[in-house]
Amino acid sequence: MDNKNLLYVGIIIALVIAVAAPFIASSNPDGLESAFFGIFGAKEIHGSELDEDAAGAAEEQVQEITGNTFSFGSPFPDYSIEGMEKAGEALAIAIGTLLVLGIAFGLGRVLSRSD
Amino acid sequence: MHIPDAFIPLTQAAVYWVIALVFIALSLRWARNEMREEKVPLVAVLAAGIFAIQAVNVPIPWGTSGHMMGAALAAIVLGSPFAAVFVLTLVLIVQGVLFGDGGITVMGANIINMGVVGGFVGFYSFKGLNAAFKNPYPAAFIAGWLSLVVAALVCAVEMAIAGTFPLELGLFSMGLYHAVIGVIEGGITAVALYLIYTARPDLLKSPAGVTA
Repeated sequence: MDNKNLLYVGIIIALVIAVAAPFIASSNPDGLESAFFGIFGAKEIHGSELDEDAAGAAEEQVQEITGNTFSFGSPFPDYSIEGMEKAGEALAIAIGTLLVLGIAFGLGRVLSRSD
Repeated sequence: MHIPDAFIPLTQAAVYWVIALVFIALSLRWARNEMREEKVPLVAVLAAGIFAIQAVNVPIPWGTSGHMMGAALAAIVLGSPFAAVFVLTLVLIVQGVLFGDGGITVMGANIINMGVVGGFVGFYSFKGLNAAFKNPYPAAFIAGWLSLVVAALVCAVEMAIAGTFPLELGLFSMGLYHAVIGVIEGGITAVALYLIYTARPDLLKSPAGVTA
């Protein structure tokens, strides 16, 4: 497989994963969030029930502990596009994938050795 | 394992940014000195694939989920832990700025955990295990698992310094969840390494020493 085909096959695999992601991904809290909710009493460490009210309170409580109230309005929060459901998420992740590809390729071309 | 802004005080977050910037500078030096032009498509495809696969949260027990990190894979395939720093930094910037996945003030900590710790643990454990096993695939599986678990434990220590998690409970719960998520990391690392080696054995000849 030459470099061009490697690039094409790689892009296709990445895009297939990107578009499938919102349909197959679990919406459970990730490891760090789960540890956080467990420690702040919104769920049991070994349990699977999340208390939504306690989870919201935990998020306020941690801001008081660290004093870091920085908030940033990202254009596509949680990989969502306003007004679009799963299709919007698939699109958002696909856009992100292509953007990462483009930046890595461009930066790579600028920095790499040509010998 | 993406830390949100609220989890770390600003002063500590700034310290992590300074440390991360040192490694980012070293990763750019790696790119300038070690990245050959013919490897650029592989670097770009790996970065894009890692971004995409990080969106796939796999359910694990205890109402939790986790996704692959990809630092071990990037470091093993590209032959340097700095390659993982390079790739994961790009991925984390796009995730944080565009999608609010991982905070902005704490991005330095996320780059340290996933890029630096993940990359270095993944690369050097793979090197050692590959020399011991004479087989890159079990070595890649264990290196992938270790890279994720150690990154999670470092994250737990940062949470303890921040005052967010008590140290022991943080280490226990982060270790527990990521020991399971690490199986996903190790599995995909080994399979992806096999696929890339099958497609392009020449790209892997040096210097990680993959021999299949």
